[in-house]
Amino acid sequence: MIKNFLEIENVTFNVGNKSKVNNLSLTIENEGDIICLLGPSGIGKTTILRTIAGLEKIQSGKISLKNKIISSKNIHLDPEKRNISLSFQDNCLFPHYNVIQNIEFGAARNKKKKKDLNVDDVIRFLNLEHVKEKFPHEISSGEAQRASLARSLLSKPDLLLLDEPLSNVDQSFKEEIQVKLKKILTELKITTIIVTHDSYEAFYLGTKCGIILDGQLKQYDDPYNVYHFPNSVEVVNFLNRGILIPAKVTGENSLENDDLGTIKGNFIKHYPKGSDVQLLLQPEDLEHDDKSNLKLEVVDRKFRGTNFIYTLKTLSNLLIPVFVHSHHIHQHEVDEKFGIKRPIIIDHIVCF
Amino acid sequence: MKKITIISLFFALISTLTLASEVNIFSARHYDSDIQLYEKFTAKTGIKVNVVSGKAKALEKRIIEEGADCIADLYITADAGRLGAAQAKGMLQGGLSSAAIKAAVPKNFRTSQWVGIAKRARIVYFAPERVTGAELAGLTYESLANPKWKGRLVIRKSNNIYNQSLVASLVKNNGKKAAASWAKGVVSNMARTPKGNDRAQIMAVAAGEADIAVANTYYLALMLSGKKGAEQEEAAKKVKPFFPNQDDRGTHMNISGAGLLKHAPNKANAVSLVEFLLSSEAQEHIVNNTFEYPMIQGVSPHPLVVAMGLDFKQDLKTKVASYGAKQADALEVMLEAGWK
Amino acid sequence: MLLKKIDIWYLSSFFISIIVAVPIITVFLSFFETTGNYSSILKDTFLYEYIFNSIILLFGVLLLTFIIGVGCAYIVSFYKFPGVNFFKWALILSFAVPAYIYAYSLTAFFENFGTAFSILKNLFGEGDYNSSIPKFDGMLGAIISISFSLFGYVYVLTRASFHYQSQNLIELGKNLGFSKKKSFFKIILPSARPAIVAGLSLVAMETLSDFGSVSFFGISTLTTGIYNAWISFDDLTLANRLSFFLLIFIFGLFILENFSRRKAQYHSLSKGGFKSKSVITLTGYKSLLAFSFCFFVFFISFLFPVLQMLYWTIIFPKHFIDLKITELFLNTILLVLLSSIVLILFAFISNYGNRVSKSKFLEALTTFSISGYAIPGIILAVAFITFISWFDNNIVRYFGINTIKSIFIGSILGLVLVYFVRFYSLASNGIKSGYLKINYSIDESSYLLGYSKFKTFTDVHIPYLKNSIFLIGILIAIEIIKELPITLIMRPFNFETFATTAYVFASQDLLEAAAAPSLLLIIIASIFILTTSRYILKD
Repeated sequence: MIKNFLEIENVTFNVGNKSKVNNLSLTIENEGDIICLLGPSGIGKTTILRTIAGLEKIQSGKISLKNKIISSKNIHLDPEKRNISLSFQDNCLFPHYNVIQNIEFGAARNKKKKKDLNVDDVIRFLNLEHVKEKFPHEISSGEAQRASLARSLLSKPDLLLLDEPLSNVDQSFKEEIQVKLKKILTELKITTIIVTHDSYEAFYLGTKCGIILDGQLKQYDDPYNVYHFPNSVEVVNFLNRGILIPAKVTGENSLENDDLGTIKGNFIKHYPKGSDVQLLLQPEDLEHDDKSNLKLEVVDRKFRGTNFIYTLKTLSNLLIPVFVHSHHIHQHEVDEKFGIKRPIIIDHIVCF
Repeated sequence: MKKITIISLFFALISTLTLASEVNIFSARHYDSDIQLYEKFTAKTGIKVNVVSGKAKALEKRIIEEGADCIADLYITADAGRLGAAQAKGMLQGGLSSAAIKAAVPKNFRTSQWVGIAKRARIVYFAPERVTGAELAGLTYESLANPKWKGRLVIRKSNNIYNQSLVASLVKNNGKKAAASWAKGVVSNMARTPKGNDRAQIMAVAAGEADIAVANTYYLALMLSGKKGAEQEEAAKKVKPFFPNQDDRGTHMNISGAGLLKHAPNKANAVSLVEFLLSSEAQEHIVNNTFEYPMIQGVSPHPLVVAMGLDFKQDLKTKVASYGAKQADALEVMLEAGWK
Repeated sequence: MLLKKIDIWYLSSFFISIIVAVPIITVFLSFFETTGNYSSILKDTFLYEYIFNSIILLFGVLLLTFIIGVGCAYIVSFYKFPGVNFFKWALILSFAVPAYIYAYSLTAFFENFGTAFSILKNLFGEGDYNSSIPKFDGMLGAIISISFSLFGYVYVLTRASFHYQSQNLIELGKNLGFSKKKSFFKIILPSARPAIVAGLSLVAMETLSDFGSVSFFGISTLTTGIYNAWISFDDLTLANRLSFFLLIFIFGLFILENFSRRKAQYHSLSKGGFKSKSVITLTGYKSLLAFSFCFFVFFISFLFPVLQMLYWTIIFPKHFIDLKITELFLNTILLVLLSSIVLILFAFISNYGNRVSKSKFLEALTTFSISGYAIPGIILAVAFITFISWFDNNIVRYFGINTIKSIFIGSILGLVLVYFVRFYSLASNGIKSGYLKINYSIDESSYLLGYSKFKTFTDVHIPYLKNSIFLIGILIAIEIIKELPITLIMRPFNFETFATTAYVFASQDLLEAAAAPSLLLIIIASIFILTTSRYILKD
């Protein structure tokens, strides 16, 4: 009978009297799904989580969890009755309890339910053994975030909301924790909404990703599609995927740009021949070829470990990023010419 | 409803602890020895005495505000001016007119609403080393304004009730105008800006800061008794008392006394307490502890007070009741004269 | 459901604030009735004198407490010399000595033929020492008494500010090549300014509301003026004008205090100063100088009144023997216990109500109601009696109930209620500053973990704030032990405390007899202070 696990229908999210996100609809179909919400800071992602948790009220639309309305204009279920857990971005451990007491505070609600999650396991899992007896002010912010995460996990909520859960965790450690987090969430089938600004984190953890821009949910799709088939210029810009260059459709699978010439590939959307479009050009789309007669001027070179990113200038002053592996030495200095292999072939062509 | 009754009963219990036979006193005249006196009364009559002591003005305000619900019976305070003011405000009622009271207390020191318990005189103290008998001869309160005392006189502030009553008696006897120019004279004779209590005025004379001081009688006796320590006993010996106005109306007299409160719930007990306070047993106790003069005949004051001299003429002409009536005028003339 | 729940907290918070605000409103409303017996010339004489005296008193006290408080805080925070650790806490013992007992001691020691005279006589034989002994009475006496009993506020707050002051600031001074003097005036002092101002405004409010010592020294201030005009002359017009001025003073100070406290909070919250500062070890005459300054302040503020009282208790032992110590002690403790429990409980509920309802109106009401702190106790008590009497005559009678006066006036209940109004700000501000430390998302985390508002209150807030609660309880205790005018007017028959006993003796010019209860009062208050010194000083 359950249609969708969570349904948000036309909700406008407010903080005080200021509306942050307008008229948003979003569904989580299955229990155990992990949704990642991506967007720049200050856009209202946190507000969405707070509202779902019941900390903010709504004036329009409705939110229902497991077929039960939890928020609408007239209904507001108290946060403590929703069985939704929210782990804040900032450390919200109780300062007067040590780490283990804090974590157990979360487990208290879980007592009556089947105990498939054990405090010690979670602590071990999240590498918190060494700080168990310490107080919040004695541990690092990354450790505090993990403790907060443990506390939320142990309350075994119907819906787990994580607000930038790993933003303070050391980079070196982050991927390990991401793997563990995904494992634990999947194994326990905990439905989760994660807010983050780190797109790679979102792509890794999420079954689906939502991109929130300009107070709206711009795209809501699985990570592959979000990455490869961004549905708007804004999403492209947000994901910092590449640049948009003007082009003219010349056939079923070809375009023409004044500077780069013919570009071939499969359109993901049909455009009539002769239409002027904006083509998404990503750094990996162009290949380096010194023998090519298409030469562009180097204006910048960045060493990025496994690769270099060259910024090239076309005749009509477009700046194009190009990705080159760093396993052979590139001695193209600024102001030198840089060859691009022709014809340019792009696997799938994204145009707007 | 039942609950409310129980609760209010409970509060009533903790608030008053009412006993069958008792008398409640608001006292602005605090003497430690009073407690022993009340214990004697309780032993004699079985009437328990309950006391709240406090500042006179605040107690009066509480009596007025509590109105009919005030459970105090007697208001005991020093100075007739205060008792008179209480009467004027309608805080008191008649009833202190039993034969025993009338017989014990001269008419001058009582009304039907309040009655004097003990007497004190406000007199002049002088340093015999610096003040000659000739200078003092015929000294009156009025002559304290005489320029010969310029820079030689110490007296308390104008906000002091004893001074207010003294000046009120001058207003009563000489009129407001005369009192006003007198006050100006006194102010110009002051050796220092008024400060300290009565004892401090006496000590100022002993210490040589001034030649004459105005203060109540019992302070000198208190100092002479050694209760204030050996130094003050010595200091007191350097000062001699002088009773003014012996050639006319006599020395300014005042009382400490008790007023019967308007809504006294234990009126009869209150009257019998007053009667007890006027008994020779109680009077002996009072005069020996406070160094005041007894209110009744046949009781001798403390020997130290006797030594100061008893055969002086008391002002029995000016009714002490007038101190309350002229209090406002007195304060006004003092303030206008710049009496701090 | 949510609405209903919030309403309970909201309403209780609302009612608590109203209860506290009622006597304050009464004070000012009752002055709008017009009466008055005195000529306007006299009124103006009164008025100017009262205002003038209040200003002189205020500035005198502020100057003295600033010098003593900041001076001591600076020396013990930045220098090391023999006894510095002792002085750190010993200086707060001054809180145990109420200004009126200080006034008794000051008078007793310096008056003609007083204790100083005795000492000189015993040392050098007979002589005319009176004229060479300085006289600390009148305005000067009041300024000294109040300053030495209140400088602790400035000392404690300034010291805390110095303690948390970032090491960087001090090193910056060195870096810039400032001399010590220049560093002090250009860096250290300005950065502690919010704390100093907060301390001084507390001192100012206490000074304006002082009754005991100014009336002992016979100085007419706005407070004694209102007392006289309202209570003894029923001259409401004058009382009204006086309270208008007092109100201006108080609100000015209140705003100042709030403002600087907020700033002070900001300062102390900025972390980074937790590094232990490198204190300068003093040697030679400088060390002696620092020691002497601290010892002088400690001696004058605490040892001097204690020794004076002790001296009298020893040479007049009769008064000590006659004292019903057990009864006085039990009465004092009863008041302390009842008041602290009631105050803390209600301050807690009200603060929690404010927190969960997030109502601006409630916040403002609370702020207004805690201004009761600045209203002199004696005026507050009389206002309370006036209000109860009005309420009884106009409202209670209307419902056919006989009377409620005896329940509230002259009862422990009434006494505790007026204490409640007087010290509510102490409790409320204490709990509020505790609450400020609890991030709001802590509450939300608790809700999200399934804890109800009530459970959050009992399982999170109370355990978290238990140290604050303890500290506030002790501070209330110290205030109540010292409190005089409210106790004097509101207490039931035959109910004495150390403070009232001391007053009763002092008022009959028997300061010797007042010594024993005063001494015991100071000792009990000192014990309370010592149990909390580590919280007050927050090392």
